[in-house]
Amino acid sequence: MSTSGNGNTGNGGGCNPGQLPEASRLIGEWLSGGITPADFDLLQTMLRDCSEVRRMLREEVNLEQVLRENASVTADLKAWNPEGLPDHEGEGEAAVMPFPGQSTKTRAKKYWISWAAAASLAVLLSAGTFLWGGRHALSKDLVREETNRGCAILTHVVNAEWLDDDNSRRTGDTVNSGMLKLACGFAQVEFFSGATLLMEGDAELEIISPWEAICHSGKVRVRVPPPARGFLLHAPGMKLVDLGTEFGVQVNPEDLSSEVHVFEGEVEAHPNNQELISLKEGMGLYKEGNKVAPLPGVRPDDFMGMERLDAITATRAKARYDAWATWKKDISSDERLVVYFPFERQGKWQRMIGNGCNPCNPDRNGGVVGARWTQGRWPMKDALEFKRPGDRVRLRIDGEYEALTLTCWVKVDGLDRKFNALLLTDGYDAGEPHWQITQDGRLMFSIAYPDEEHPDVKRNQVHYSPVVFNRSNIGRWHQLAVTYDNCSGEAIQFVDGKEVSREVSPLYQPGRKIVYGACELGNWGLPLQDHQFPVRNLNGCMDEFAIYQIALAGDELKKIYEASKPE
Amino acid sequence: MSTPPAPAPPEHYETFVRLFVHHEGRLRGFLRTLVRDWDDVDEVMQETSLVAWRKFSQFDPDTNFMAWAAAIARFEALKHLRKQSRDRLVFNDEILDLLAEESLEEVDSLERHRSALGKCLEKLDSRQKELLQLAYQPGVKFHEVAAQAGKSAQAFYKTIQRMRAALLQCAEKQMQAEAAT
Repeated sequence: MSTSGNGNTGNGGGCNPGQLPEASRLIGEWLSGGITPADFDLLQTMLRDCSEVRRMLREEVNLEQVLRENASVTADLKAWNPEGLPDHEGEGEAAVMPFPGQSTKTRAKKYWISWAAAASLAVLLSAGTFLWGGRHALSKDLVREETNRGCAILTHVVNAEWLDDDNSRRTGDTVNSGMLKLACGFAQVEFFSGATLLMEGDAELEIISPWEAICHSGKVRVRVPPPARGFLLHAPGMKLVDLGTEFGVQVNPEDLSSEVHVFEGEVEAHPNNQELISLKEGMGLYKEGNKVAPLPGVRPDDFMGMERLDAITATRAKARYDAWATWKKDISSDERLVVYFPFERQGKWQRMIGNGCNPCNPDRNGGVVGARWTQGRWPMKDALEFKRPGDRVRLRIDGEYEALTLTCWVKVDGLDRKFNALLLTDGYDAGEPHWQITQDGRLMFSIAYPDEEHPDVKRNQVHYSPVVFNRSNIGRWHQLAVTYDNCSGEAIQFVDGKEVSREVSPLYQPGRKIVYGACELGNWGLPLQDHQFPVRNLNGCMDEFAIYQIALAGDELKKIYEASKPE
Repeated sequence: MSTPPAPAPPEHYETFVRLFVHHEGRLRGFLRTLVRDWDDVDEVMQETSLVAWRKFSQFDPDTNFMAWAAAIARFEALKHLRKQSRDRLVFNDEILDLLAEESLEEVDSLERHRSALGKCLEKLDSRQKELLQLAYQPGVKFHEVAAQAGKSAQAFYKTIQRMRAALLQCAEKQMQAEAAT
């Protein structure tokens, strides 16, 4: 290290004048990138001890900057001086193209400054255009496609009771701008900006945009990764700008007092929307009315952490899974089952999925093609993921049936196709059922009964539910079910144990058999020749699938739903 | 989604661009004292301009834009430095603090210094300008250029250093002269 200490008086600036030429040399080497580590240490010491060296450094940097700007402008101009435009000779430097409305006389004096300005302007303009253009294009798209606008996703909902209009919020739901009133439990909200907020009931949170929210009461903990820096959280009379960090806010609704605790990083607090108080890690602020005071210390343990929530979620998931596994043992011996796939794999590359009926008919085992194993309703539960056009599960079901119930747990990730397959028979021959989701989010159950004398006339019984999938409930687990029997002719469709449609097709004729034969889950094996929409692969995951040979009653489906729902 | 928070209305945009362009040079100089090289300055400037734009609705027009933007720039620079904290050739925090603080205090005089340097630069003859152009062209490191000069690398380096010293002297005189009038 250096020996620069002779009589220096610290930062105040008393330096050894004899050092200055050496400092100048070191600064030059530092700027040129050629400084050795030893010299760098020396330079640091000089900078620390001597304000004159720091001034020199600033001036050298200034000079370097001017030189670089100048050189880059000249280079730009050289590259720019193009087709057919005469060089301006005799100026002794790179030719300069005049700006519109600028005489060549003033040009020479100003050119580099103006060009630097123009260049930065161009950069900014393009950045700004991107931001504005992006916003604009985005909002136009959303207006065209959907009227509501999501701001965040609920990624964890534990023990939650909601007090606002939508009491059925669940993990995976998209949240629009508006109020979230949580009576008890926990909810983790992931904003589209990247900020994650954990609210702890009893709490009221108002979501303004992907970048902004208001905590009206209760406790929230916010974690902001770099892309979400600038996330705004308001507490009564106070604005908090997050500079990339983790912090907690507690608002007491009685006196509207609030506390901010910064656990990591930095937060800019603007109490009364005026002063700026920078809060660093370990700092906190208490605000009541106009009174603002620093907190003696932060209390991270008072705020539910993401990790702790994870642990609670895991415990609950385990309990739910165990309950389901017990229930599964009972229902697998239900004699009314034709086929039952609990989707539990034995090995990573297991491509056969076992028919879980007890006693088991191994002829009804399924074969996985393409689809991959993934996490199901709970972390310890498997599911199959269908993504690519080839993904499917093949199976064969022999026999003729009078009635059916189809049930499955499915997480739809997107409705990419005109028809998105749940269960389709190969082809579409007499008595074969097709179960799918239309692109506009309706369930569609149909049975083919072609008119043999007039094969060109469509005689299929087709049943549509109202729209049940939209952008806000896509990406979460739902139980779908349909029942049909050839005596009543009634097709009833269910979502999450609730009936959503019930009808008898005008084309219904009593007593016609139901058959399956070769069929598949999540795709359409053998589309009819020249069919207009042959590609029907599902984009999503399937966890548990069953076919019964009777039409189960609504009550029973409700019970099945309750026993197997994720939360 | 790249939606900025608290959208600033379009007329703010013009104000922002004007202010930002006006202060860009100072900000760059300020940043160069904090980060390792001009490439880093470019990177940090880019981030700074975006963050500043996103936060512009929070800027109070009655206050000092430079101080406001410098605070953002300083934060962005620190982030950047943290990323490359293994690099030994980055000044330690104590020195960064000193440099940042003093750079802000001297914003105006550094700006005058810059404009004086611009004037001095124009006084150079075309051969000198060419040499500087060669040494400071974009995308190359000074010591690489010097190395290309082969045997005369040392001479090249010395010539440039002499020119730099002359320019700094010239700027000082220029500033004194301006202060006197």
